[in-house]
Amino acid sequence: MTVSVETRRSRVTVYAKSTAPSLTPVKPGKTHEFTALDHSMSRHSVHLVCYYRQEPTVTMTALKESLCDVLSYYPAMTGRLVKNEGDGCGEWMVKCNDAGVRMVDARADTTLDEFLASATDEEERQLAYWEDVGSDPYLWSPYCIQFTDFKDGSMAVGISCTHFHADPTCVAVFARAWSETHRRALVTCPPFFHPWAFYPRKNPVPSSPHLSEKSTIPPPLHPPAMSSVTFAFSASSVRQCLADLQLSNLSPFDALASLLWLRISSYKSASLGTAQLTLAVDCRRRMSAPLPLGFYGNALHFFGVKADLSSGWIHIASELNRHVSGIKEDDVWSSVEWLHERSKEKAFQMYGPELTCLAWDNVPVYNAEFSPGAIPVHVGCRIGNAQGEGLVVIMAGAPGEGEEARTVIVTLPTDLTAQIYRDEAILKYGPKIMFSPNI
Amino acid sequence: MANEPLPPFSSSVRLKYVKLGYQYLVNHILTFILIPIIVGISIELARVGPDEILSLVRFLNDLDLIYVMSTLFLVIIVGTVYFMSRPRPVYLVDYACFRPKPNFRVPFSTFLEHARLVPQFDERTVRFQVKILERSGLGEETCLPPANHYIPPTCSMAAARSEAELVIFSAIDELLNKTGMRPKNIDILIVNCSLFSPTPSLSAMIVNKYKLRSNILSFNLSGMGCSAGLISLDLARDLLQAHGNSNALVVSTEIITPNYYLGKERAMLLPNCLFRMGAAAVLLSNCRRERSRAKYRLTHVVRTHKGADDAAYRCVFQEQDSEGLTGINLSKDLMAIAGDALKSNITTMGPLVLPASEQLLFLFSLIARKVFKAKWKPYIPDFRLAFEHFCIHAGGRAVIDELQKNLQLSDQHVEASRMALHRFGNTSSSSLWYELNYIESKGRMKKGDRVWMIGFGSGFKCNSAVWKCLKTIKTPVDGPWSTSIHRYPVDIPAVVKVL
Repeated sequence: MTVSVETRRSRVTVYAKSTAPSLTPVKPGKTHEFTALDHSMSRHSVHLVCYYRQEPTVTMTALKESLCDVLSYYPAMTGRLVKNEGDGCGEWMVKCNDAGVRMVDARADTTLDEFLASATDEEERQLAYWEDVGSDPYLWSPYCIQFTDFKDGSMAVGISCTHFHADPTCVAVFARAWSETHRRALVTCPPFFHPWAFYPRKNPVPSSPHLSEKSTIPPPLHPPAMSSVTFAFSASSVRQCLADLQLSNLSPFDALASLLWLRISSYKSASLGTAQLTLAVDCRRRMSAPLPLGFYGNALHFFGVKADLSSGWIHIASELNRHVSGIKEDDVWSSVEWLHERSKEKAFQMYGPELTCLAWDNVPVYNAEFSPGAIPVHVGCRIGNAQGEGLVVIMAGAPGEGEEARTVIVTLPTDLTAQIYRDEAILKYGPKIMFSPNI
Repeated sequence: MANEPLPPFSSSVRLKYVKLGYQYLVNHILTFILIPIIVGISIELARVGPDEILSLVRFLNDLDLIYVMSTLFLVIIVGTVYFMSRPRPVYLVDYACFRPKPNFRVPFSTFLEHARLVPQFDERTVRFQVKILERSGLGEETCLPPANHYIPPTCSMAAARSEAELVIFSAIDELLNKTGMRPKNIDILIVNCSLFSPTPSLSAMIVNKYKLRSNILSFNLSGMGCSAGLISLDLARDLLQAHGNSNALVVSTEIITPNYYLGKERAMLLPNCLFRMGAAAVLLSNCRRERSRAKYRLTHVVRTHKGADDAAYRCVFQEQDSEGLTGINLSKDLMAIAGDALKSNITTMGPLVLPASEQLLFLFSLIARKVFKAKWKPYIPDFRLAFEHFCIHAGGRAVIDELQKNLQLSDQHVEASRMALHRFGNTSSSSLWYELNYIESKGRMKKGDRVWMIGFGSGFKCNSAVWKCLKTIKTPVDGPWSTSIHRYPVDIPAVVKVL
């Protein structure tokens, strides 16, 4: 990733790598199969970073012990990728060989508050160590957990994993289960391993015009360098947004997603017309047989929204609202069945290369309390390999900021990012800007 | 030692009863001689009337007082000399083993993944380690210290010290809790750890942590291999003879952190695969008041050193390989040398522990072969008559197999050793204590049972200790096996497929 001006030396140093086993041995011969959705997401990775203030029970050693404990419930996490010899779905599956997950120890040369105020996008990226699969997938841990100690005793926990195994909701639920195990509390959302959840229906109707179109787009020859910036909107800013929109049935997601879509597009090209935005929505709860929150795997539904950007912000917001609330279960099943048909073929990029938005604000992420009452100070989520026109992740904000607070992480080509975080229309609502690129 | 089984006719039932009868006769020969004498005297007394008895008593009364008093004093003096010259009994009050936390566990797949990810190992080296691990007899719950979980392992001195503190202090804390012994009452401290010997020593580390007395007799034995635990016991026993009313704390451990071999020499890779984290703390005492709560009494310790033989001396040898990396080289004739050392050891041990019946048979067989040049096979005494339980150092599957064959032990006799190897790996000198705890946890230890602990180590040494159980140990036993004893014994296949 190139930066145009002199880079300040990063304050984050990784100094050790190890492996954490689960506490109880896994029964030999156990395997975990992937669904068609899992296979479709194999090009991406998820990185979740949670920041915690100093607490006596939240130390690296104690967290490593409770990690081993919670891994006993997740045999799929400690397994390794092997080729699918049978006639199951897709090319790969997990052999639960009890090998453990990778852990990385790091330290940051600053205090937590200082870091949150002044860290760059690159420094936040370094809080979630990640290695792509090398030459031998059998030696590669699909999960990597980084523990970063700050100078004042605070800690950042970065969970990275391949999108093959889990979507952001799954990672957030794992973090919650881990924190509950650490506190010796009951695990409220135990993992639910059910690869048959997305098996095609009895009379499949495989069809997904949006995904078919995506699969035919050739990968870009020279993917642009990407950088990110985080906007933390407080509840009052979001309420102000909604007030400006004057429509009563809109959600914070509609307001913020449409605002960003409009502003990003206006920087890309001077004239605005009809444009398409790809939306990714968690559909665990949208199925008529709803999947539990602890469902282990991917449950994101990708679909396209077309809107005429020249008609103004209010129109765009209402279009988004109409599409998101109007998702039909049949559409979800059709796209799953379409993906199932082509599961043995090479996966294509799902987040991008066109402008994509991940609607993740309906999933609670601030409930991973390692110490009773000590919720994370901040939670950030990134998606790896989302090159192209950009990715907007809209997630819940810190509870202290209010119920409507939202954190928006925008990943764009570097020159666009430089413009977007100075954009007047967005800054009008007074979001806190964090982790901006090093410029 | 010839190990052919006895000829088939010996398994016939009739001969078995003859053998049993012979054993009862010879082992209780004194009883058999005394009974006719007692019967004779009783008949004589019955025959003789009360007048004769009275006249005998009057005769005794007429003896001079001086004769009576001298006889009495003679008896008292002889009795006193006898009691004072007996060796002080050495009681094992209690012992505690380090319980590794399961998050230090090393499953086979993790071990091999690390071996592949560490750049120093090439494909051939990794394949060799796979082969060793598959046939090792270890299970999936053995533990390595925290430093060995890093890629590559962070084998610093600070990490070795912290491992030493972790294993030793946990074992001692548990022991002090169980026995209620105050640290100030410990008079003798002996620590043995072969491969890690910092300055100040590990015994000084313990004195510092527990604030032991300034006039404590502390010893630190290093470099003495896996049989050093029994050497420490022997040293403690000798010290307890010299000092009365004393308590001795013996700590046996092996620190794994500084000894991970990162080279390509195959003979030096075995310790990587087999050695695991463990420690044991043992409280010995010669105080009479500890007799009531002591678990065992130490009856014999026999030490055999074959170092005079060059092959035995170089059998387990720590050296640098061609690349300058230090490792422990295990020679190919390890099993033969171990068998030889064992033979020497049991030749000395036999007369001390075997019942008279076996010793006589061995003597007859020896006389027949040497004097009359009869073509008989050497008689192997049946040690199952001398001991109820066997704790064989869990050095590896091959060692246990070899000893089982040599001593003609059944699978149940070596079960403790095999299961300790499976659950805890080769914990070096402390493995004997994990095995003893297994036998106790299974509820097999009864009052009066005799236990034979056999340790092998570099040098080449073979050391044995014999314990006698003083009270039946009731289950459930709180020890390293508490969480897993219900799953044992397990059937350990000859080869476990790892990949």
